[in-house]
Amino acid sequence: MSKYLELILHPSEMRAVAQWAIWHDPVFPRDPEKESDNLKRCYELLKLTSRSFAAVIEELSPELREAIVIFYLILRGLDTIEDDMTIPNPVKLPILRSFQEVLDEPGWQYHDSKEKDAVVLEEFDKIITEYQNLKSPYKAIIKDITEVMGNGMASYCEDEDFNKKGVDTVKDYNLYCHYVAGIIGEGLTRLGVAAELSNPKLMDNPQLYESMGLLLQKTNIIRDYHEDLMDNRRFWPKEIWSKYAKSLDDFAKPENEAAGLDCLSEMIADAIEHIPDCLYYLAGIREQSMFNFCAIPQVMAIATLELVYRNPKVLTGHVKIRKGLACQLMLESGSVRSTYDIFQQYCHNIQSRNTPRDPMYVRISIACAKVDQFIETVFPTPPEPKGLANNSVLVFGLSFGIVGILIFYAVFLVQ
Amino acid sequence: MALSTVLIIGGSGFLGCHLVDRFYAVSPRPAIHVLDIRPLPIISPEFYSFNPDEIVFHKGDITDPDSLREIYREVKPDIIVHSASPIHGMGKEIYYKVNVDGTQAIIDVAVEPEFADIIKGLVYTSSASVIYNGEDLRNADETTPMPEKQMDAYNETKALGEKMVLAANNKRPGFKTVALRPSAMFGPGDRQLIPNMVQVGYTSGTRFQIGNNWNIFDFTYIGNVAHAHVLAAQKLLDEKKSGGVAGEPFIITNNQPVYFFTVPRKVWAMKGNIPSFTIKISRPVGFFLAFMSEVVAKLRGKEALFTRFRVSFTCANRYFNISKAIHFLEYKPIVTLEKGIEISLRYLEYEEEEKAKTLAEKKSE
Repeated sequence: MSKYLELILHPSEMRAVAQWAIWHDPVFPRDPEKESDNLKRCYELLKLTSRSFAAVIEELSPELREAIVIFYLILRGLDTIEDDMTIPNPVKLPILRSFQEVLDEPGWQYHDSKEKDAVVLEEFDKIITEYQNLKSPYKAIIKDITEVMGNGMASYCEDEDFNKKGVDTVKDYNLYCHYVAGIIGEGLTRLGVAAELSNPKLMDNPQLYESMGLLLQKTNIIRDYHEDLMDNRRFWPKEIWSKYAKSLDDFAKPENEAAGLDCLSEMIADAIEHIPDCLYYLAGIREQSMFNFCAIPQVMAIATLELVYRNPKVLTGHVKIRKGLACQLMLESGSVRSTYDIFQQYCHNIQSRNTPRDPMYVRISIACAKVDQFIETVFPTPPEPKGLANNSVLVFGLSFGIVGILIFYAVFLVQ
Repeated sequence: MALSTVLIIGGSGFLGCHLVDRFYAVSPRPAIHVLDIRPLPIISPEFYSFNPDEIVFHKGDITDPDSLREIYREVKPDIIVHSASPIHGMGKEIYYKVNVDGTQAIIDVAVEPEFADIIKGLVYTSSASVIYNGEDLRNADETTPMPEKQMDAYNETKALGEKMVLAANNKRPGFKTVALRPSAMFGPGDRQLIPNMVQVGYTSGTRFQIGNNWNIFDFTYIGNVAHAHVLAAQKLLDEKKSGGVAGEPFIITNNQPVYFFTVPRKVWAMKGNIPSFTIKISRPVGFFLAFMSEVVAKLRGKEALFTRFRVSFTCANRYFNISKAIHFLEYKPIVTLEKGIEISLRYLEYEEEEKAKTLAEKKSE
């Protein structure tokens, strides 16, 4: 019910929802008629397990669409095993560490998971079948990333300190985000370049795709503070939160709201510093469907960060951007220019609410200005036409005239 | 080749003291000589780490070649750093004398054959304002041309000085030059940028914002500028790396361009002044009000705080792309903008304390 009410309150979003539903034409529509039952089932699994990605993946160029669906499902399988606390480490670790080998074992299934996405593991043989149908360069990339990620996850499962206390330093935080998101950025970039949908130069500067992954991951970690806390998971690094509280859990208590918001600001400052890299990356994508696939999650992230910035609700519950707004963003993020505009707008919104009371005042201001500065390098402001330069002179003269007349009248009336 | 002796011309000034400080920190430590018209000021160890007793001071006139030659002979510097510059407001004649004639003499004597195996390079402190033409500078870099007509006499002479210095590169074989163009410097010893902001902080001026505050500005902490000079000097002496540096200008900033009002607001907040609301004034209205304020101040025989120059300064985009310095000088700021502001405010407090102390001493006498 509240969903409809929200739409009525935001008419432009209502229009966006309608427009998306009625007019939106995918760049590459899927044709299920031509797909095998096995492949169809993979698409169903994708829909079952991914909330936000399914729509954008389905519209990808056919050259990469299936590779990315399979890539997604494999990582989802890994993630499900990692998350499942009912699987003891002696069983879990060997599976994680050798998951890349499973990809070459037709018929492999796993039935001992109690996680919500366990269905992926139960029907993993279908994913393997489709994996084997992919072009060999794509297979190699997916296998590589699966291996690195599985090993990364295993080492976190083994790490007692990490599991009990959470993330310690900002460096650890970045490393954790690297293993769960930065590596995916690498995989997708390699796939994009191999399919000639992206500029090969994107491979030369790993910081760019790393930032693409980190911005998304950090946004989720920030937004899910409360949810993770309820699940007894802690991803905010101690190096940051210890400046504001004795325990990360304290921020959920109403009396610590002010400290929690200051800490939130630092987490956000850290995240938005990745934006120039992300904008740089987006400019390197050559093909429309790949661009949409990369840009949409990014604009959702900045919209989310703007929503959570100095928002006390993050500390005590779940905050999410409205469905209508998400629709609007999907419609608007079709080009480099419009995507940059969205980023700039949200950064300006953050900066407009930034005050010297915030310990992150200067840092956030610099981070937002860096976004403007970067956009300026890609789309320089055209020089002002000479005629307009005289505008201020005009206003100047006019105000003089008016003041003069007023003084004249004042003197006249006094006499 | 490691730097063994540096002669810092203008070493007693605002930037000069920081140059001494940064060259003193170089390892192995070079011999440091200062040439200035006034002696090194008394420095506080809280803000400068050098020992003044180890710095050799030479009093001299840079417009006099004979005096310069004598000092060069005595010091035998391998690098000369020329950062002598008159304070704003001294008048056109003085600017020419120091920035043009002085610079010419410094070069002319240095390229004389007798210094052939001695003086290897000259580092010149120019200014980012030499490419300012009154319009917005966005991501300006070293390819941005200098305007045909400079904004004022000061910039005109700085630009002339820079051209002379860069043209002198290789004027004598083995003599290399480089020019650094810092933007809006602040830090201990600064009499303008931060002190002016602090002053405004005591007034209701903090409640006003002129323009939309989306204009971006590059403020530069003085210690970073000094650090860039050290790097430039080292690169000139480095056979492998001098190629991209010699004969080139480099813009130097903190590489943290920021919305203009962020800095004054931070300053005011640190002084305990956080206005509960701000009034936004558009730029043309700001110009008009500033004009009125100048008129009123003039009538009352006072100096106006709120001037048209400050309005245009406040509303301008003035930020730079310093990739060239990052690449060729391997420059990276060593003090962040925020830390720089903290140090500057602490320095102003220190100055107040010193003033109070001398006052108290006078009283007790």
